[in-house]
Amino acid sequence: MKPTENVLEIRNLVKDFPGVRAVDDVSFDIKRNTVHCLVGENGAGKSTLIKILTGVYERTSGQILLNGEEHDPQNPRDAKQKGISTLFQELNVVDQLTVEENLSLGVEETTFGFLRRTDKTNQMVSVMNSIEPSIKPGQLVSTLSVAKKQIVEIARAVAAESNIIIMDEPTAAISESEIARLFTIIRSLRENNVTVIYISHRLDEIFEIGDNVTVMRDGGHIATKPVAEIEDRSELIRMMIGKTVFEHYMPRDDISPDLILQVKNLSNHRLNDISFDVKAGEVVGFYGLVGAGKTELARAIFGADHCDGEILFKGEKLRANPEKSIAAGIALVPEERRTQGLFTILTIRGNVPVMNMSKISRSGFINAAKERTVAQEYVEKLNIATNSIEKEAAKLSGGNQQKVVLSKCLFADADLLMLDEPTRGIDVGAKSEIYSLIRQLSNEGKTIIIFSSELPEIMNICDSIHLLYDGSLKSTLRNGLDVDSEYILHVVTGGD
Amino acid sequence: MNGVKKQSFQFQLGRSDALRSSIKQVYIYVVLVLIVFVFSVMKLDQVEMFGRGHFLSPDSVINLLRSAVPILTLSGAFTLLMISGYIDLSVGSAMSLSAVVYALMILNGFSFWPALLITLILGVIMGSVNAYLVMNLRITPVIATLVTLSLFKGIALLIVPDGLSAIKGSPDKAMPGWINDYARKEVLFGLPAAFWVAVLVIVAMVIIQRKTILGKYAAAIGGNRIAADLSGISAVKIVWILYILVGLFAAMAGMARASYMSLGDPLSGDGMELDCIIAVLLGGTAFSGGEGSVAKTVIGSLIIICVTIGLMTVIPAYWQVAAKGSVLLIAVVLNHLLVRDTASA
Amino acid sequence: MATNQMQKPAAGVRLSDESFITVFMVGILVLVFALASLFVPNFSTAKNIFNLVTNNWFVIVLGVGVTLVLITGNFDMSVGGNIALTGVLSVYFVQGVNVSQNTLANGLGLPYVVAIGLALLCAVGVGAINAFFIAKLKVPSIIVTLGTMMLARGAAKVITQGAQRNTSLPDIFGWLGSLSIPGTSIRLPVLVMISLIILAYIFEKKTVFARRIYLIGANPEAARLSGINVAKYLTALYLVSGLLAGITGILLASEYKAGVSSRAMGYEFDALVIALLGGVSINGGFGSVLGMFVGAIILSVVTSAATGLLLSPDWQFTLKAIVTFIAILSQRYALDRRKA
Repeated sequence: MKPTENVLEIRNLVKDFPGVRAVDDVSFDIKRNTVHCLVGENGAGKSTLIKILTGVYERTSGQILLNGEEHDPQNPRDAKQKGISTLFQELNVVDQLTVEENLSLGVEETTFGFLRRTDKTNQMVSVMNSIEPSIKPGQLVSTLSVAKKQIVEIARAVAAESNIIIMDEPTAAISESEIARLFTIIRSLRENNVTVIYISHRLDEIFEIGDNVTVMRDGGHIATKPVAEIEDRSELIRMMIGKTVFEHYMPRDDISPDLILQVKNLSNHRLNDISFDVKAGEVVGFYGLVGAGKTELARAIFGADHCDGEILFKGEKLRANPEKSIAAGIALVPEERRTQGLFTILTIRGNVPVMNMSKISRSGFINAAKERTVAQEYVEKLNIATNSIEKEAAKLSGGNQQKVVLSKCLFADADLLMLDEPTRGIDVGAKSEIYSLIRQLSNEGKTIIIFSSELPEIMNICDSIHLLYDGSLKSTLRNGLDVDSEYILHVVTGGD
Repeated sequence: MNGVKKQSFQFQLGRSDALRSSIKQVYIYVVLVLIVFVFSVMKLDQVEMFGRGHFLSPDSVINLLRSAVPILTLSGAFTLLMISGYIDLSVGSAMSLSAVVYALMILNGFSFWPALLITLILGVIMGSVNAYLVMNLRITPVIATLVTLSLFKGIALLIVPDGLSAIKGSPDKAMPGWINDYARKEVLFGLPAAFWVAVLVIVAMVIIQRKTILGKYAAAIGGNRIAADLSGISAVKIVWILYILVGLFAAMAGMARASYMSLGDPLSGDGMELDCIIAVLLGGTAFSGGEGSVAKTVIGSLIIICVTIGLMTVIPAYWQVAAKGSVLLIAVVLNHLLVRDTASA
Repeated sequence: MATNQMQKPAAGVRLSDESFITVFMVGILVLVFALASLFVPNFSTAKNIFNLVTNNWFVIVLGVGVTLVLITGNFDMSVGGNIALTGVLSVYFVQGVNVSQNTLANGLGLPYVVAIGLALLCAVGVGAINAFFIAKLKVPSIIVTLGTMMLARGAAKVITQGAQRNTSLPDIFGWLGSLSIPGTSIRLPVLVMISLIILAYIFEKKTVFARRIYLIGANPEAARLSGINVAKYLTALYLVSGLLAGITGILLASEYKAGVSSRAMGYEFDALVIALLGGVSINGGFGSVLGMFVGAIILSVVTSAATGLLLSPDWQFTLKAIVTFIAILSQRYALDRRKA
């Protein structure tokens, strides 16, 4: 069989989720033995596309040709057998096994159940050692660094004779020198008949390692072209954000100069010496891409994670403990709605009042009538689509679930509301409702901090914008007409 | 959360971490040696070293090893199951039921091999019941096996005729005298066949853990279930096999117990699940699965036996339960200090 | 028909899943009771019904604590051992000092009230050990409480030298256990059981404290981020469970005028079984004390019917196991059908 020029051809691919079209009529080709980069903002559709390629999701319509043949994997294992391996961000190695055991996991050769050391195993080990001689086959994987675990996974993929290896943000958790090493490996993979699909938010990396690049935006395909034909970062950034006219929010002049929150030298394993102030009544946005440290910062301020440094709220030192933070007047809408924010097996009524039970109770006894009234009030206020407050939270749509989490935090009567990715994965209608709610709250005098990886969201509602990259606070801007979205993307993708 | 604390902590204390990991490697041997030492010097004013009545006298050592047969037979398979992240609390009852069934067959004229075979088949069935409840009906392992604990024990009690406390010989129908050959008659170095079979089982389980695909997959399933699934490992199949192994060796342990006592006592396995858990925890197997060692569980089993038998020589038998409870809690603390943090590093 | 009716009712009238399961189990209870009445002579007499509800008061009292712990997604297997320990201690504390050659007849000679107080303190102490390991060290509750079960029972055995203490007791010792409402056969323990059920029902449905227990069971991480101090609530529950075991231990010791080290063997399992029968979910966040009470009566109807049908008492373990499996699976099936 004569190999086709394109290892992968994607034709009119569409993926619909309830209320959202995540991939919208995407077509492009990936040339054999190249490093093909995939870029786009969060929510642009990259991950969904990858998940269709690897059999996690089923496409709604469209066609994918792998080596010229129809490709429709049933699950990731199936995709792997057809030659597509993936390095996920959560590495799929077993820490408790040795390197060699991990390499052969699932493809062992045995005699009566006894593991045999065969040529195949030796070959896998030599593949790995040709990539990274310092890893010993007998070493426990738990003793390896993240970068070396990645190498073990790459070796597995190579040994499985994958012609395509997908790398999803492989450099998010590894050091500069390790990145250089990874790039050397990627180049040698390309020379050895492997196509690499490379996803990264760090645009400099695209120029360093990429042959071709595909830009996606809002689920659609914007362009696919050789990296050499792209002039510079700004061209790439322009393609990523497009001509979106930001409905620029004019920061208010009437914000009092009183500081409600002072963060000094906050550091932990993901945060690097972050300091900033928030004025009472301000809407503050933290913008950064995946892995920049937004969630970690929100949790550290709230006291959910350990950190060093000092946090003053209304002039008093905060104790690192969510219970104390809520009592002091801070509420957090966490990033992971279903696992951290919501009690899915409970009803709406059961969810709304949990952060401020004293308001619906008297000397420890719950006033059921008051509880119902409160739940009803929030269902109406936030326009939660349900026929009853007795509906289980699990049965609501994403947007309505998020509104329940918001209700919970609003009912806490906090002066400072922190929202981590408040509109992730919810439909457009619910999104704009949440935005107007934030405005309304701000008009009522609440202070709000939004942590988001969606730039329009930040630019539409914030008075000031902080930019995070790699756990550090890189820049602080005041929102307004003169804010340059290209500059922002430049900073959060690692530019100077 | 916790992870954050841990990481920065370990970053600063890298060296003490290495120390802890080497303590983890050797502590169980040290504990065993210490316990043996303590018991052997305890009554030196009354008995001679290695003399009659001494903890390390030949009689006493043989007695100790004979008592250790059931836990030695069973704890290896139990460890593999816990490495895969599952648990079987019904092992004690499975042992009792097997003891009763075995004794009943011998009493009614079965010869050794058929009785053994049927007992082992019973073990496989009991293991399959657990596996089916846990893996196919998806009942939480703790609940499913607690309920089968009651089930097996109940059946054992039903088999024993009303008015009797065990299946045993009576004036009308005598228990054949050879029933205890297996667990008492000297075969080699003063020890009976049951002991040497237990040694073979241990060797087999150590080999299974280290050299076979079953041991490796058990660790993969307990260590990273998603990675195991993505690698095409069928967790259902592997855990089924492990539950069957545990059932099989529980039956074998029960049969050894019946043979040792020359009767089928429906309560003879009571508390075995706790002995196994203690041995496994002492051996450094993580609660969460993935990590552990059959060989070290064996040392853990010997520690339990030394403590229970050794204590009986110095203090009355009614201290035994309290002693075991304390050993369990101490094992939990040691496991917490030594295994948990290094496992997640 | 039935499913139609379930989907029809207007919003608000629809039962919560929890009440649904309780009603479902009440239905099962009625069915089991009707069958038993058909086949077992004298089953549905008033006296027998009264006995069915009250004979197992001790398991139900334990069940209250075990159910609340189970709602948070944890186990308490130490209650049986704790009963034995508390009973033995309450005897040991009141027995006279040096009254006899027999060591088992000698105690500390404390006044009865003080003895009860101290014994209860020890029972709560066992709960505190559980709490320390589970809430602080985050060790799986099943392993910890099996360990404290042995520790408590072992301590009882040490104090009684493996047997029991029943001599040189003051007359007042048997008073609590024999107390009953004048003119009726309702004894104090039964009264304790009934008041606990009522208290627990109110507690569960009305208090903020109980609501937080459900929240912890439903999603521990979300509960923490909603400002709930999870360790504090777990600790409180294990202390309460220990206290209830202690009360049971004291009442049983008083009733039998003895502290027996083998008392209450397997009660921890019975308490767990009735909670499961009553629809408490081991995954946490779901279940009620009232459901547990229904479960207890179902179990007692089944076991007493079995005895009535001339099954030997040896059937109890097998029967409990089978009934529990049927209950777990049928509840799951009923809930799935309802949700589909």
